[in-house]
Amino acid sequence: MRLQRLRIEQVRQFRTPMALEELQPGINLIHGPNESGKSTLVRAIRAAFFERHRSKSVEDLRPWGDSAAAPTIELKFDHDGQQWQLTKSFLQRKRCDLVIDGRSFSGEDAEEKLAELLGFQLPKKGVSKAEHWGIPGLLWVEQGTGQDIEKAVEHAGDHLKSALNNLVGEVASSGGDDVIQAVEKQRAELLTATGKPRGEYQQLAAERDERQRDLAELATRIEQYRLHVDRLGLLSAEFDRANAERPWEDALRRMEQAREQFRQVESLQQQQLRAQDSLGQVRQNLDLLRQNQEQMQAQGTKLKQREAELQAARQRLAGEEARTPGLDKAVKDARADYEAATRVVEQARQQEIRTRLQQDVARLEDRYRTLRQNLDKASGFQQQLDQGRQQKQENRIDAEAVQRARTTRRQLDEETIRSQAIATRLSWQLEPGHTLQLNDSTLAGEGELRLLDEGQLTIPGVGRLGITPGGEDLASARRTLAHLEQTLSEHLRALGVAGVEEAEQRLARYQDGERQVRHTEDLLLSVAPHGLERLRRETGDTFTELQGCKAHLDGALETAGEQADHIPGLADAEHARKVAEQRVAEAEADRNRHETRVLTARQTCETANREWQQLSTELERSGNPQQLQEIAGTIAATQRREAELVKNLEEIESRIRQARPDLLQQDIQRYRQAAETQQAAQKNRERELRDIRVRLEAWGAEGLEEKFNESTAELEHLNRRYSELHRRAEALDLLLTILTDKRQALTRRLQAPLQKHLDHYLSVLFPEATLEVDEHLVPGRFRRGNDLGQMTELSFGAREQMGLISRLAYADLLKDAGRPTLIILDDTLVHSDTGRLDGMKRILFDAAQRHQILLFTCHPEKWQDLGVEPIDLETLKAQPLL
Amino acid sequence: MGRSFSRFDADDGAALAEARYAAIEALAQLAVDQDCDAVLVAGDVFDAQTVSDRTIRRVFNATSAFKGPWVMLPGNHDAALAESVWTRAGRLGAVPDNVHLALEPGVTVLAEQRLAILAAPLTQRHTYSDLTAAFDEWETPAGLLRIGLAHGSIQGVLPDEVDATNPIAPDRTQLAGLDYLALGDWHGTKQINERTWYSGTPEPERFRNNDAGYVLVVDLAEPGALPDVHRHDTARYRWYQWRETLSVPSDLDQLIARMQELPEASVLDLRLEGAITLEGHQHLNHGLSLAEARFRSVSCDRSGLQLEPTEEDIAALHADGYLGEAIEELRLRQGGDVSGPARDALAILASLLSSGTQEVTK
Repeated sequence: MRLQRLRIEQVRQFRTPMALEELQPGINLIHGPNESGKSTLVRAIRAAFFERHRSKSVEDLRPWGDSAAAPTIELKFDHDGQQWQLTKSFLQRKRCDLVIDGRSFSGEDAEEKLAELLGFQLPKKGVSKAEHWGIPGLLWVEQGTGQDIEKAVEHAGDHLKSALNNLVGEVASSGGDDVIQAVEKQRAELLTATGKPRGEYQQLAAERDERQRDLAELATRIEQYRLHVDRLGLLSAEFDRANAERPWEDALRRMEQAREQFRQVESLQQQQLRAQDSLGQVRQNLDLLRQNQEQMQAQGTKLKQREAELQAARQRLAGEEARTPGLDKAVKDARADYEAATRVVEQARQQEIRTRLQQDVARLEDRYRTLRQNLDKASGFQQQLDQGRQQKQENRIDAEAVQRARTTRRQLDEETIRSQAIATRLSWQLEPGHTLQLNDSTLAGEGELRLLDEGQLTIPGVGRLGITPGGEDLASARRTLAHLEQTLSEHLRALGVAGVEEAEQRLARYQDGERQVRHTEDLLLSVAPHGLERLRRETGDTFTELQGCKAHLDGALETAGEQADHIPGLADAEHARKVAEQRVAEAEADRNRHETRVLTARQTCETANREWQQLSTELERSGNPQQLQEIAGTIAATQRREAELVKNLEEIESRIRQARPDLLQQDIQRYRQAAETQQAAQKNRERELRDIRVRLEAWGAEGLEEKFNESTAELEHLNRRYSELHRRAEALDLLLTILTDKRQALTRRLQAPLQKHLDHYLSVLFPEATLEVDEHLVPGRFRRGNDLGQMTELSFGAREQMGLISRLAYADLLKDAGRPTLIILDDTLVHSDTGRLDGMKRILFDAAQRHQILLFTCHPEKWQDLGVEPIDLETLKAQPLL
Repeated sequence: MGRSFSRFDADDGAALAEARYAAIEALAQLAVDQDCDAVLVAGDVFDAQTVSDRTIRRVFNATSAFKGPWVMLPGNHDAALAESVWTRAGRLGAVPDNVHLALEPGVTVLAEQRLAILAAPLTQRHTYSDLTAAFDEWETPAGLLRIGLAHGSIQGVLPDEVDATNPIAPDRTQLAGLDYLALGDWHGTKQINERTWYSGTPEPERFRNNDAGYVLVVDLAEPGALPDVHRHDTARYRWYQWRETLSVPSDLDQLIARMQELPEASVLDLRLEGAITLEGHQHLNHGLSLAEARFRSVSCDRSGLQLEPTEEDIAALHADGYLGEAIEELRLRQGGDVSGPARDALAILASLLSSGTQEVTK
């Protein structure tokens, strides 16, 4: 399809006619600033195709304020070798005229032809909306909607598919979608979208379950009915038999027999009671008689016994009295022993006191001697100490000053020796008798002198020789000597001695005194640690104590007098005394016990004598033996009577035992119970029969089995209907699945060519990228390198580019299918950067080889390198139209 | 009586049940027409013990045309138990005086008709001994016909599948010196020997073809004489069950032709196997639809029948594009494991397409 010419008149700002002429088959770039009318031109093209000429919803086309306007659009284009010319007027003059190769169409016919050609729908009423636009909606991109490809494809939907049918041959179906709809509708009557039963189908299942429950209940009741009928048969047979045989009457008869037998036994039992009473009385009488007899016999025996007891008591008394003297003597001996032992103890105590005093005297004497010696030693030591102290006091001298004097003296000696060495030596050997005078001293014989000072040797007779020692050292030595001599004399003066030797002697004496003091102090401490005074006091005390002790001992020795040869120790003596004391106590206790026994025996003897006397007197008074004989006779008679009674009783008991009264009573009870039970059972049967009959009559009237049959029939009908619907639902489900599968398979076959065209363009923009077309022919998944995502997640600019690429791909596909492809782009790609825009230009130029493209823009400078001559709208408007 | 016909639609079932009351009336009328002395019913009058009161009353009401004696024998379905449909009928007062219920084994003497009926009723649901053995011992008044009336299986004569319970010796007439032995239990009319017959049920109630729907009129001139037995048709409906395999189109034509020959009072049960074209399918539907309108009941089981659309079928349906592929797929699936849904789906698709075609034609 190629648009050749567009002419508009009375459309918005184009009040006067304006035309785009000689439009090119490839790209046509139409530019102009904002408000110059680009959008009006686009709107005009859309209105010419999409809006019904009779529409009242196209007021936007009217020039402002012109109520008489009739907006008119003329289009001229060719397609498939046919020349199409469309003139459409709105509002004031509603017309649509179409000429196709000389054939004229007008009004709605013309509009339908256009819709069929381009693949869109006309609105039933009102303004044309996006959902009506079909294929042009995909190829004609309005300002700012280039990226929104998904909706556009959806709206193109069926038009696109039917337009593309040619591409895929015979696979498309003319009535397929209608069939699918019909199947969906029929399926929806039976199943929900998720395949669950609904409506009658669903209800049938519920009814079926309910019916089955009813049936189960009926079956149970029928079973019960049958059981009752069986029970009835059994029970009535039993009842009849019992009524004929009457078993309870026999039981009653036998009970009466048992009762008669029991009555006989009862009379025997009464006889037995009477006999038992008699026997009891006889035996009681006999017991009394025997007691009397025994009592009488007992008196005689008792007298003999008392006599024997008296004899025994007397013997015991005599025996006891015989032992008295022995015991008295034992007590006396024991007492004597005890007194002796007491005396020994006293002697032993005295002896012990003496021994202790002697020991004390010895000890004190010893101590006194020691103290005395120590006191003597201490007095000596004290004297020595005083001497030492005195010596020390007399020779007190400073040891350091002595040392200093000693040192000065040594220095003086050394200096003297040195000065002698350097001094002028004057030696002489004079003839005897001859003397020399040196200074003031006289020299004779043989000798030597060392001269340090100038001297004058006078040789008598001869004259005087002056001697002057040479050298400076000599002078210095002389001064040093003088100094040292002075120092020494000062030291000695301070010490108060004449010479060093004296000082040394005094120091030695001082130190000796000090040593003696120290030594003597140690010695004194060893004999009198607490001082001399205390030692002296102790000595005095000890002496006094010793004197006291001796006086005591002397007293003790005087009182002792004569002593036994052998006196035992005090402890042994005390022990012996205690033993003796114990013996006395034992002996006395023995004697006391003996006296008690004697007294007791004497009393027993007296008592026994009195009792014997008493009983003896008593027996003599009464006439005992005759009575005894009489009682023996009575007892024999009573015993015979007893034997008779016992025999009689045994006989009665034996008869009772043989009759078994316990069993007889049980028999009576058993027969009575048997009769009662059988009668009760018969009554129960009668009652149960009545109950069952009543129940069966009631149930029979319900016609259970007939109802069961009817319900079974209903259930079968339900089942049949249910399985019919089930089969139908399954079939519809299957059919729908197969039809949709087939239809999707078809769509997938269209996917491939579209993908091919898409890849063609995409590789220009993104060499490594892919954009996948889904089964609804919508571009969806985008992949570039490792990035993976939906197209809708891309940036606005990228989406717009992808959108345009996709639309171009659709255009190619439509072209392949021989459909018209006019592409209109209104100010598109404004969000693309220069790099991408370059790519898009290459793509557009490539697409323009196959499709006519109208590109409206207000940025002509961006499109300069598109290689086409731009059409300036402003220029065009300025040109008057012929 | 008291049976429901579950396999049929409710109104068909009701009509078939109703026909059974009509059969009793027809029988009574026949007895009047044939000037019969008595009517003997050999068991299983009632299908169950607990039928509704109304059913009981209607049964006895239906006998009213014939005023002579009826002797009714309890069978295995309506055995004379301690409580039974018969005791209930008695309590309801539904039994007319001329209807004798042989509830206990024994002889019913119909002196006026010079008949002695030796009845062996079932007093339990099943017995395993021959109840007619007692006939041998029973004395009957001299000069009266000795007619046995029993319910059970003649030993060694009936097919094996029949219950072995309630046995009856085949030579009972000889052993007991009977003039005639009237038997029930077998639903078809069947002669055992010259004096022993099963009359069968007067109105058919099952498809198994065993000569049901008749009553017997028995003429006995005098004791010892051979009976003269006539069969009378009392059936209101006849039951047919056809198993057909369709392979070529003419099979279907023949089937439809056979259906057209049946009388209107028919109950027809069809089971079809083999294969059929879409056109043939429509043809069959049409034929069945006509039959349903004519007959009492028609049922047709097509689960064994494959739909095989021909090229012409598909062309006629204008099934182009993927619809054609869908039809092909369904055809293939028909031969697979789950053929049922595929066949039904194919039928639905065909009907959708053909109705569409019809619309276009319109």
